Amino acid sequence: MTTLSQQVSNRPIPNPKKSLITRLNMGTGLIVGIAFALATYYSMQTTLDDATLNFQRNNQVLLATMFMWSIGFLVGIGAFIGPFRWLIGKDLTAEEQLYLAGDGQGIKRYFKYCTDHKVVGIQYLWGVIAMLAVGGSMAMMIRTQLAQPGAKFITPSIYNSLVGLHGITMIVAMIIVATGPFGNFIMPIMIGAADMAFPRLNALSWWVLFTAIPVLCSAWFLGGIPTGWTAYAPLSVQAGPGMNAFIATIIIFAVSTAVAGANITATVISMRAKGMTWNRVPIFVIGATISVALAVPAFPTFMVAMIQTAMDRTFLTGFFDSNVGGSGWLYAHLFWIMGHPEVYVILLPGVAILMEIVPVFVRKPLFSYTAAVVGFAGIAGLSVLVWAHHMYMSGWLPMLNGPFMVTTEMISIPTGLIFLVILGTLWNGKPWLKVPMLGVYAFLWNMLIGGITGLYLSDVPADNYLHGSMYVTAHFHYTLMGAALTGAVAGLSYWYPKMTGRMLNERAGYISFWFVQIGFQILYLGMFIAGAEGQPRRVSDYAQMYANSNRISTFGAYLIGTGFIVLLWAVIHSWRNGVIAPMNPWGAKTLEWTVPYPVPLVNFDTPPVVTSDPYGYGKAVK
Amino acid sequence: MSDHNDVHLEPTPGERFSKFLKRGDIRETLAWAAFYTAVFVVLGAYFYPKWMPTVMSTDMKAIERLMVVFTFISAPVCGFVMSIFTQTLRHRHKGDTPPPDGPMIRNNRLGVAVFSGVASLLTLTAVIYGLIELNSSAEAATKDAPNALVVEVTGNQWVWSFNYPSLGVESNMLNLPIDRPVIFRITSADVNHSFWPVQLGVKADANHLATTLAQTTPTKLGTIDVKCAELCGLYHAYMETSGEVMTVSDFNNWVTAQGGHSA
Ligand SMILES: [Cu+2]
Ligand SMILES: [Cu+2]
Repeated sequence: MTTLSQQVSNRPIPNPKKSLITRLNMGTGLIVGIAFALATYYSMQTTLDDATLNFQRNNQVLLATMFMWSIGFLVGIGAFIGPFRWLIGKDLTAEEQLYLAGDGQGIKRYFKYCTDHKVVGIQYLWGVIAMLAVGGSMAMMIRTQLAQPGAKFITPSIYNSLVGLHGITMIVAMIIVATGPFGNFIMPIMIGAADMAFPRLNALSWWVLFTAIPVLCSAWFLGGIPTGWTAYAPLSVQAGPGMNAFIATIIIFAVSTAVAGANITATVISMRAKGMTWNRVPIFVIGATISVALAVPAFPTFMVAMIQTAMDRTFLTGFFDSNVGGSGWLYAHLFWIMGHPEVYVILLPGVAILMEIVPVFVRKPLFSYTAAVVGFAGIAGLSVLVWAHHMYMSGWLPMLNGPFMVTTEMISIPTGLIFLVILGTLWNGKPWLKVPMLGVYAFLWNMLIGGITGLYLSDVPADNYLHGSMYVTAHFHYTLMGAALTGAVAGLSYWYPKMTGRMLNERAGYISFWFVQIGFQILYLGMFIAGAEGQPRRVSDYAQMYANSNRISTFGAYLIGTGFIVLLWAVIHSWRNGVIAPMNPWGAKTLEWTVPYPVPLVNFDTPPVVTSDPYGYGKAVK
Repeated sequence: MSDHNDVHLEPTPGERFSKFLKRGDIRETLAWAAFYTAVFVVLGAYFYPKWMPTVMSTDMKAIERLMVVFTFISAPVCGFVMSIFTQTLRHRHKGDTPPPDGPMIRNNRLGVAVFSGVASLLTLTAVIYGLIELNSSAEAATKDAPNALVVEVTGNQWVWSFNYPSLGVESNMLNLPIDRPVIFRITSADVNHSFWPVQLGVKADANHLATTLAQTTPTKLGTIDVKCAELCGLYHAYMETSGEVMTVSDFNNWVTAQGGHSA
């Protein structure tokens, strides 16, 4: 990136020559994308009499339309100009690269194919907020339906779609909730880099993801999905047209995560500041990198499983449909080989954010950096060996239940190290309970409950009872929402000053925190009880005996909803009206707090040199 | 120690340990840890038996015991976490300026080693306990298999049906005689379901064109709720039926009334 920083210091007078790249933006993307989609849809439309052929043809048309929309959008926004120009031997000029970085384009650059990592970070932030808002609204509708037995708020068909779409929306949002906004905006500054290793790939990962959002929404208008986000075959193979939207979303999203994962990993490996040896890298960077590195092998298996499901639906290939010789177990394996690592892909960055926060707010060094790294690496390493704990009851190979139980429970050991690092840092400290720090305490409690209930679930005999019940739902919400999302929200209030130049409204932060966390305990306490009492998960209705626990849960859910509305208000309101933030409001020692707001295009005027890890807080003890 | 010219003696590990235990912060931590451990032990012992349905089979009994024992195993961990949680909150820093510097403790090898050791031991206990339970239920299954009653369970969007091949009975109710081992042979006519007779503590997926086995012995008279625990499409929520664990004579009467022959 030295070339880019030289250009900025020399600041060539931008040539306002109206070349193609200055004309492209999200609008042209939408136009070309929709044009590609319509052209595909109408050119492929045919009428068939045979119902089976019709089913296949319909799936072919819809899938092709969705992929062409995505490709068309990327063409229209100019994603392929760089590679194309390189192919024809006329690589982008320095001036054009500077233009792509959004130099001097104000708010417009957020709607362009912009390579500046800070712009991509903000794009991800709003993308995540939008997805969480949609997924959260779906959760509110689910809980409203479940407020009482026999409710007729929504039909079973809509209910099932809500369950599946809530699931996939939240999973996608949670995978990028920390690595998207903070991994892009903050992380390169944290390691003293001028940008990501591959700025154009960075823009690509966001805009590819963006094209998945309308595709996922279209599932709703194509009749929804009946399968839940697990999309088990053969139900998925027989499902209606909405299933195509689900499949296309996963495939597009997998491309985005692969690109983003490779980019973040490469950046951390190759672009760290001078002197930032591996034992001086901020722990958030370590956590985020291990997370995306884990996603790189995990997600393609899901993508493959979805391509196979699509082929079963379009060409009757019979990978997963037992009617034509396939195996639903094969699907379950592919799904969970992604599915279990994926929960750690979600969890690790959230935890790593909290580890970044604790030392700052107790003014003590991070306790045992080595234990933190070993904990993260141990979790990631073990997480690829445990997938079949989701299949204890599937009948696939009961003989292997024992071994999978052992590997799963082993994860408690590195998870224990994660706890130890946070507790050791807190130990004998005087915590400063600002909004980010509250998240640390919420995490400790929520992860404790999530971890212990996970221990029951990992045990084969106990899982005989708990599998497929509301208990499971409560358990994974404790880990994914109670731990990972809490970490991400803490990260938002922590880094908000650096990303927006203003402080996040503190009072609203506190109010939101208490509403969300208290509502959370109420919601999932009720759900643990319902599960222990024997209520299956993903049911649109239930017996009278579960009425009390479900009513409690719905009440808790509304508290959470209220809390997040307050947070959303605060994020929007403080963006324009918040108190102007000083350069380093928390007195932290990581590099991102050494740059002013707005962060310069290449982040640092002079590349920083690192001489120690960023945790040198506290008084020396004998 | 009266003579200052004496060679300075390192305190023995025992002395250091007792000195360590006399530290105020350590005592406070231990007290809170003991308190929270006790709380979790009581909660585990009290709530799982309270929430979980009537124990009606050997397996359900093992499951409930396991939930309680696992809570006990994890109680010390909860105690330790919640102790530091509480203790640091009690010493929180108030005000709008950052707190004063804390002690610069970057690591404590002994502490990390002890913590990891204890965590590993507790995990190992849970693993071994789970494996023993798994093994004993498998052994019981092998031993009981010869005189077990076979019930063929079929999941069909969105009903359960039960076939008793040795008795010539087909039914939508899952009725079973008490104290006789039962083997469920489970399959599906369409998509994946999961057979869940709640009070029996049994669960097994029903897959199309494959048969899954599950086995238990009903030990208590009463109603069984049968549910589907795998999302299987539109009316998944309503895919339930019930049944009863009956005395042997009641069961034989029921079989006869269904037009079957007694075994
Ligand atoms: Cu898992
Ligand atoms: Cu079912």
